[in-house]
Amino acid sequence: MRSGAQRGTALLEQLVGTMLALLVLGTLVAVVGTGSGLLVAVAARGETEDTVQLAVEALTFDVRRAGYDPAAAGVPAVSEARTDRLTLAADLNGDGTVAASSEETTAYVCALPAQQLSRIIGRQSLPLAGGVLACGFRYLDATGTPLAVPPAGLDVPDRSRIRAVGLDLTLRLRGTPTTRRVVVALRTSP
Amino acid sequence: MRRRARAGSERGAALAAALVALAVSAALVAGLADVVRTEIILARERRAMVEALAAADACIAQSLTALPVGWDFEPLLLGPDGARSTPDDGTLATPTGCSGHAARAPGTPDPPRVLLAIDALAGEGRRLLEAIIGRDPAPASPALLWTTLPPFPDAVTGMMVLEGADVDPEAPDLPGLAAPTTPTELDAWVAAEGSHVAPSPRTPAPVQAPLPPLSELATRAEAARPAGAEVLVSQGTPPSPPALALVRGDLVISDARQGSGLLLVEGALDIRGSLDFTGLVVAAGGLRIAEGAALGVVGALWLGEPGAPGAPVAPLAVAGRLALRQSRAAIVTADGLLALPRRAVLRGLRDVG
Repeated sequence: MRSGAQRGTALLEQLVGTMLALLVLGTLVAVVGTGSGLLVAVAARGETEDTVQLAVEALTFDVRRAGYDPAAAGVPAVSEARTDRLTLAADLNGDGTVAASSEETTAYVCALPAQQLSRIIGRQSLPLAGGVLACGFRYLDATGTPLAVPPAGLDVPDRSRIRAVGLDLTLRLRGTPTTRRVVVALRTSP
Repeated sequence: MRRRARAGSERGAALAAALVALAVSAALVAGLADVVRTEIILARERRAMVEALAAADACIAQSLTALPVGWDFEPLLLGPDGARSTPDDGTLATPTGCSGHAARAPGTPDPPRVLLAIDALAGEGRRLLEAIIGRDPAPASPALLWTTLPPFPDAVTGMMVLEGADVDPEAPDLPGLAAPTTPTELDAWVAAEGSHVAPSPRTPAPVQAPLPPLSELATRAEAARPAGAEVLVSQGTPPSPPALALVRGDLVISDARQGSGLLLVEGALDIRGSLDFTGLVVAAGGLRIAEGAALGVVGALWLGEPGAPGAPVAPLAVAGRLALRQSRAAIVTADGLLALPRRAVLRGLRDVG
């Protein structure tokens, strides 16, 4: 009898133990799953932020030096100004000319069908950001008023009025989209 | 014995499960910590870069402000000793936290410009910039009244009216007062003068500005075959065309006169009657307006220069009425008669490193 009672107790103990183990295991799986998801989300968010920040830094770098003209040859800072495309010029070697095939001519292109923002130097196209959901350039005059940009882009007189360039960029690599709206002032005086 | 064996087996499974869970959790936490640590490092680096970039921009802005207005950059390129090819050539006064040096820009000397190399430090960041500095193509006065000395207390016992707005809607409003001292001190002076100084609502607050180069302006005027005080005709007569007038010594106006263009008085301008002038009035020896007298200038008024012949003890003494109103067109006309000095402006820059 004692032996049977002992077996019954052991079975019950095993069942309870199994249930508890399953409960603990399930909780553990849920916690690990949540942790993994968090890790993936944080990494994705970090990657998205890094990508956006790199794009902003590249644009800032190029806009700041646009119109650099040590030889006073009359280099226009902005040679193309559209909502989806921006071309900047600078005479970096001081020879009085702007080479179209070198870093002296830098273009930014928002290619929404391809969900991509690219930086084009000469004939080299360098993808800055993928997963682009929205992307557009704005152009501000000396009073900070946005210039109306026709589909063909700003003409020469209007381009000479540009004092700052804005970029509105939204992208999602994975997870939550990230949006940046930046304005970078040209460092040239009219 | 079986119970002990089973119990031992259960303890072993629990331990293994706990260890696996611990290992997985630790791996997750380590991964998360690594991601966070990387992002923190990146953010810190970016912040240092942005701070250094801002410091470099600020350095250029402050250096620009400190550069004297003028026609070219020869004084800067020659350095304090004024001699070419000496170690102090291109010495640039820079604020704390950055250093800089000026050199000739490549290409033709015209338009005048200079190449500044700026090295800025901020926190853990460091930036090297090259900036092209030129002269503002548009002639401009930094304020309606530009003085080499800050006005003394009670300089205005009469009335000084300042209108910074121009009839040209495109022209930005002009500050009422500029002098080589801090805006705080200038604000305090305006406040201390009380109701004797009346700036209009569209007259911006006083600004700090370097010395007006009156000696060189007078030298250039001498070479431009100027007229004399005779261009100031009696009020009520047909106005004479704008002219460049240079008066050696003091000029006393004891009746009612008018004129336009550029009036440069090497001594003091002493108003005992009334003078209405459209353009730029320069009084190297200061301005005195007697009680009941009046001076009206549509354009700008530049006063005094320490150390110059006839330098004033006080650049400004207004017992009567002084009225100044901005007119960009009048300054452009004066500039057409004699090229006015230009402020230094940033023409472009590039990040070197």
